[in-house]
This record gives sequence, structure tokens and C-alpha cells, in this order.
Amino acid sequence: MNNIIGSRTPIDDALAKATGEATYTADIKLANMCYGKLILSTIAFGKVKSINYTEALKIEGVIDVLTYKDFPNIKYNSALRFKDHGILKTETVISETVRFVGDRIGLVIAESLAIAEKALKLIEVEYEEYKPVFDEEEAATSSIQLHEGLNNKVGTISTGADAETVADLISKADFIIEDKIKIPMVNHVSLETYSVIGEYRSKKITVYASTQNSFAVRVLISDVFNMPLNKVRVIQPTLGGAFGGKLEVVTELVAAGAAMKVKRPVKIVLSRKESMIASRTRNGATIDVKSGVNKDGTIVATDFKILINTGAYVGSGMNVIGAMSHKLLKAYKYPLRYTGSPVVTNTPIAGAMRGYGSPQAFLGMNLHIDKIAMTLGVDPVELNMKHIVDKNEVDILAFGNPELKACVTRGKELFDWESKKKEISKFNKKNQDFIRGIGFGIGAHGAGVYPAHQDCVNLLLRLNEDGSFNYWSASHDMGNGSLTAQKMIMSEVLTTDVEDIEATQVNTETCPWNLGDYASRGVFVEGQGAYKLADAMKNLILETSVLKFKVHKEALSIKDKKVWLDDKPLGSFGDIAVYAQTTLQKELSVLVDHHSIAGRTSYGAHFAEVEINRENGAVKVLDYVAVHDSGTIINRYGIEGQLEGGIHMGIGYALSEKMTFDEKGNLLENNLKKYQIFKSNEMPEIKVDFIETGDNGGPFGAKSISECATVPSAQTIINAVANAIGEHTNTIPISKEEILNIINK
Amino acid sequence: MKLQLNMTVNDEAVNIEVEQDARLLDVLRDDLGLTGTKEGCGVGECGACTVIIDGKTANSCIVLAASMDGCDIKTIEYLSKDGKLNPMQQSFIDNSALQCGFCTPGFVLSGISLLDRNPNPTTEEIKEGISGNICRCTGYEQIIKAVEDVRDKKYVKDGACNE
Repeated sequence: MNNIIGSRTPIDDALAKATGEATYTADIKLANMCYGKLILSTIAFGKVKSINYTEALKIEGVIDVLTYKDFPNIKYNSALRFKDHGILKTETVISETVRFVGDRIGLVIAESLAIAEKALKLIEVEYEEYKPVFDEEEAATSSIQLHEGLNNKVGTISTGADAETVADLISKADFIIEDKIKIPMVNHVSLETYSVIGEYRSKKITVYASTQNSFAVRVLISDVFNMPLNKVRVIQPTLGGAFGGKLEVVTELVAAGAAMKVKRPVKIVLSRKESMIASRTRNGATIDVKSGVNKDGTIVATDFKILINTGAYVGSGMNVIGAMSHKLLKAYKYPLRYTGSPVVTNTPIAGAMRGYGSPQAFLGMNLHIDKIAMTLGVDPVELNMKHIVDKNEVDILAFGNPELKACVTRGKELFDWESKKKEISKFNKKNQDFIRGIGFGIGAHGAGVYPAHQDCVNLLLRLNEDGSFNYWSASHDMGNGSLTAQKMIMSEVLTTDVEDIEATQVNTETCPWNLGDYASRGVFVEGQGAYKLADAMKNLILETSVLKFKVHKEALSIKDKKVWLDDKPLGSFGDIAVYAQTTLQKELSVLVDHHSIAGRTSYGAHFAEVEINRENGAVKVLDYVAVHDSGTIINRYGIEGQLEGGIHMGIGYALSEKMTFDEKGNLLENNLKKYQIFKSNEMPEIKVDFIETGDNGGPFGAKSISECATVPSAQTIINAVANAIGEHTNTIPISKEEILNIINK
Repeated sequence: MKLQLNMTVNDEAVNIEVEQDARLLDVLRDDLGLTGTKEGCGVGECGACTVIIDGKTANSCIVLAASMDGCDIKTIEYLSKDGKLNPMQQSFIDNSALQCGFCTPGFVLSGISLLDRNPNPTTEEIKEGISGNICRCTGYEQIIKAVEDVRDKKYVKDGACNE
């Protein structure tokens, strides 16, 4: 071993990021570039009757104003992953019918953003208004129809135990416990807002975009503008965070169309408010969950029903419901039935966000089980342990060596759950000003997208004359460190240093085809591809050495970037590359493809202690422990950073983050003063640990972390608050007012 | 209306005509090409646009460029102007205190400014001192550690802003 796997390695572009040299889309300036500002609907539902932009055009520096008449009226689904992906198409580039406050109705193009902003204020839009519907439950049965020929409740997926069995088991149980849980929409708030530049030169479109899904963007541009795929190029500059929010096409088609229209590069950088209302969100949800419970503490069956709010267009709706449909079944082993539907409403479009449905599903389920534990007066950890999957009782291909129980056991120890229970009870008896509580939550999420659809990657590696390597991977690193992990995996196989491998920018014209970066596939799928790639390169180096040194391949090995015959170095990798160029007249490069044979599951168990101020209801998180089963750790820095970041997002989900709307459909939390993200001084110290049994599907036994990190977090906090105040509140995020109501009852 | 503005940016004199209502952030990024300063929120809440004005950190998205006449401004580009990293930058790299990197220039400057004011902060004071910046990726643990390491003199203080 080269000792790279499991080491603490900083992200590969850390230097560029620490110096401010890293180039994000908004930092790019092209020759003759102009700026676009979206005209967004100010009403929640209606039809554009007229757009008057005569005055706007009079402003010096305004180049053009584009409306739906200037763009193809072709429907697409922004969540498309690959050509002919059969998903419902409901969206157009620019709409005549508007379905939420923030729907795109046009674009002002000017010499500067400031001029475009001034011009926007002079544009008058007249609408024919319809009555909107905002809530998923209401929209599911409403007579208001958002899309012609389409039910608001778009479809239904059921999995798990059959309906009759579950109903029968519940009816025969000692008690029936039911819960209704409402979860609001939230936003990714990647610090980089959605940014794009469209360029059209010599009948070829180039789009620079803050995207996680370059090849799919390329297909959509080709489909909508009827362009040959070889005349569409998508480039991903440094990505300033994504969390799933940059997986779908948002402004790429607008920028491409605008550039074609004005024959100049057009840059569109969304403001924070625009990014919040006019890109993507995490689905809000209504959960109805019912369980039959026996006096001995056995949950005999659970009927779990969820409606998700997918926003104004179908987008990822069915996909999220489908992805969610397996997750609870990967964690709980007793009869459980899942039924889920996406519902369109007159709210901002939902899409992928870290966990892709798992945070909502596990939040609902964990709250429900916590309430059952409270009702029975039993320990929630013990109750969960009776009902979660065992390592050896599952189909290993789909689950991938689940170590959920080991995570719970280790976490309970690290957190000192039993002692904390006693300490808290003492503290709460003595203290007049504060109440403390402890909570627990679990979660599971996949590693890769298979079997939802194919999960494959193509990768290319070249050996240079000095022994360094160039790596072509359309792996969209968004700060999560997937490229660094891939380089570490290759370095381990090739006995090189991580810096010896240079990765190119994602560019659909120069990189081999890849799916986008979603479903936590960066290590499990792309990393395993990188392993195969490095192994193929090693083989090529050895085969070339056989020709150069006239020795048997079996006697050769590699170490320290050299080829060895037993314990004698024969030559460096650079020597072999030069020999190939000069004598064999070829380059040493390999192209491999890899497809995932199974989706694996990663697991986590979280524990938290909170303290509540009796006077104002404020919640402070005092202590936090998270233990995860992600298989083998590739980069300890990467996994710790991802897990801590995921927990930070989950704490916000429980306590502060929400997207709510007024009666007209305007977002109330429309800037970062109102949409509250936890700051450093509000965060507890987080202890993380890992169960590293490993799994044979990924590189060196690795699974995934990025999405799973956030799945158990919110419910851990919510359960801790409930433990402190003696009952669960009915709002998420938990409001101080409701805490005070319960305390003062 | 345009105004003539004289200021010092990263030790260089800048004489420039700016719009009366132009933000300092836009002048730095668009006119001077200093794109290391980022816009994350536009309301002075996230700290991605942090710069140092006359020795103090400020959110350049809510500073009018026109008010900067005669001021000394330092951006992230200043720190490694001579090709050498500031200890805070090195500590951020070594502690993996950055993921997507969009907040990093702001955090690095806030960390330096904190140690300038208080060379020996407690962990709680560090958490407080960098609470004007938002990071969506890390959960702050590694950022706090990076500042602690500079405080603990694990890096030689040869940098610029923390002399």
C-alpha cells in the first residue's frame, strides 16, 4: 500500500481557492460579453397578456429584451439525465403561462448588469390572473389545475409490504399511533448563486455553467434549439457549492438562446433572491404515518404516506418519490408500506437536494418512532434497535454490508447516552432557566443511482514524458472532493503522489461521457472507474516495460513511480513514456468505462444534546455525535468535512431554515437575513466516527457520504427538543413560540 | 452620475471613475478584475465579499465605492501578492478548511483580522470572530481549527495583514 487511502488530504484545488484564484462562472469575462437580467413573474398563476418594454429599450446600453416569442416553444424536463430519459416534460425556456412568483417570462440584455437592472424596472407586464394553490395537500385534490392534461398529483409509487397485510397487522395491534408531519420547502443556498454564460460563435454554442450535469445540459440545448450535439459544448468552471441545486437546467437554455439572438456572449448571474425563487428547492412534504404497536414495544407494521410539493413544474417529482420509496426499507426490517406522490403547486420548482427525499422520509419516520417511544415510555434508541436492519439478514447486493446497528452502538457509547440521561434529569430538576434534552436519529442513503437507471462513467488517463499524468473525468467536483478522492485512488494503484495527477476542467467536448454528479456517485461509481483506469494504466506501463527491458511481465512490479525487476529499479514511468513515444511511436493512454453493478446503501446514527431557554424558547445545540458506515474511508479530511457540513445543514433544517409564502405566493424568507443559516458561533462541537468494515462494490471498499451525512441530522435535533420539553411540536423548523406554548402549558 | 475616485487597492494607487451608486464589490470585481472577492448574498450577511478597509473588515457588497475616496483597501489577492502564502491561507489548505472555496477568501480575511485584534483568542472567541461569514459546506469545524493553528503559531507569521 502507498498509504494514501485513508489519509488526510486537502482538496486538490485548495491552493487556488485559498488565494482567490479559483475561477467560478461569474468571474469569467469574455470579449464583447453582455449581461442578462431575467424578467420574472410577479404573480403566482396566470397568463402574460402583454410585456411593454418600449421605455426600457430607450435606456443607453440596453441591447434587447427577449420574451417567450423569442424562444422555441418546446417542452422539456430540466431533470433530464441522458438522451431519451423518459420523464414528463412540462417546462419551457420562457413561459407565456406563469405558474409561480419567479417563473421566467423574459430577459433584458444590456452592456452591464447595472443597466439591465435599471431597464427591468421600466418593464410593464400585464397578466390575466388565475387563482393559485400553494399547499401540496390542497393542490392534490383542488379543482385548480396547473398543467393541461396533467393531474396536480402527478403519480403514485408504492413499495414495501402490501396494503392488506399492513392494514390487518395495524388493526390487530395493542395500540395504533398516528402522526401528521408537515415539512416546508428549503433552499440549498450554495454560496455561489446560479451563474451561466452563453456564447454563440461559428454556429456553435458554448455554455459555461455552474452545473453538476454538463452532458445533460448539452442534450437539452441540442433538443430545444435543434443543434447537432457536436456543436454544443458545456464547460463547468469551479463550482461554488451545489448540494443537488445545480443538477437541473435552470438558466443555461436562456443564456444559449440569448447568445444566439444577439450574437454576443451573454452572462446571467442570479442574485441571491433570484437564486432562491427561480432555481431549485428541496421539496416540502406532508407525511401521514400510522403504526400498530404492541405493549411489549414491538412495532408490528407501519403505513407511511407522503405527498411532496414539487413546485410549479414536474421536474424531479417522480424521481424523488421513486428514490425515496426504497430508503426506509433499507433501514427498517419489519412490515412497512410506503406510498408517495409528487404534487405540482404554484411555488418555486423543487428538485434534487442532498439526500433526494431521504431527509424528509427519515425525518418523518424518526419523529414518529420517537413519539411511539415517548408513548410507551421506552428508550428511543432501544426501540429503534429492535426494528432496524441487521448486518447479516439482508440482500447484500442491494444493501451493501449495512452496519447501521454498529453505528448506533458506537454512537451511543461516544455520546455517553446513558449517563447523559441521568445528568439531564438532574439538571432539569435543579435549573430554573434552562431545560436540556437528548435526541437520536438514523438515516440511510444510496451510493450511486443504480438501479433507478444505468450508472456508468468513462475516464481517460495519459502518462506524460516526466512520469506525471493527465486525467480527463467529467466528474463535477462541487467542493465535495470527489476528484481528490479519485486522484487518491489512482495514486494508490500507481504508487504516485496525488499532485502527479492533473485533472482537466469538465468540458463535454474534451472529456469522455459521464452522467452528472448526483446520487453520491463520485467515489462509489466514478472512484471505482478511476481504480479500473489506474489498473489499466499500470498494466500498460508493465506491458511497455516488457518490450523496453525484454523481461517477463510476471517478474515486474511498480513502486515509487518506477518499474522494478524484483528489488531492482529498471526505469521511471517517464522513461517508459518516452520509450513509447520514440520507439513504439505511441502515447501511453487508457480509456476505460465502468458501470455500477448495484446501488449500495450508506448509514448513519446521530445523537445530540440541546438546551432550551425557558424564557425565550431559544434552542442551543450543546453536543453532537455522528457515526457513519460509508465503507472504507478514502480521504479522512473529505469525509469529516462532508459529514460536519451535512450535520450543519440538518441542524438548520430542524431549527431555522424554511421557505414560506404569503397569500400571493411571494417568498417571505427571500434573503440571507431572513433565511437563517447557522453561523460558527451557533454550532456545537461535532464528534464524528466511522465503522469501516468495507464493502466490495466500490474502490477499496468505499461507499458514500455526501448525501447520507445530512439524512439523520434534523430529526436528531427535533427529538432532543421533544425530549427536553416533554412533547413534539407540530412545526418544522421548530419555532420558539411553539416551544414556549408547550413549556408554559 | 459618475464620480472620480482615488483609493489604494492592495498597495497600488487607483484613480477611477465610478457610478455614484456603484458598490465597492462591483468596482473591485468588474473594473479592477479582483475576482477573489465574491458575492454571496448582496445584503451584508454572508461575508463572501469581505475586504479590509483601513485595517478593518467590511462587506464590500454594502459599501458604496464613492465613499472609498482616500481609503486603503486590501483584498484576498493582496495576501499572496509576492507569491508567498499568508499563514492563514496555508493553514486553511493544511486543515482542509475549504470545500467549494466560495466563502474562503472572506473567511481567510476575517481570520487574519481577528488575530490582528486579538492575537490569542479562545475557541469561543474564534467562533464569534468569524460569525460574520457563512460557510455552507464545512460546518465550520475545520475553519475554526485552521484559525486555532495560526493562533498557536503553528505557522510563522510572515504574512501581510497580520504583521
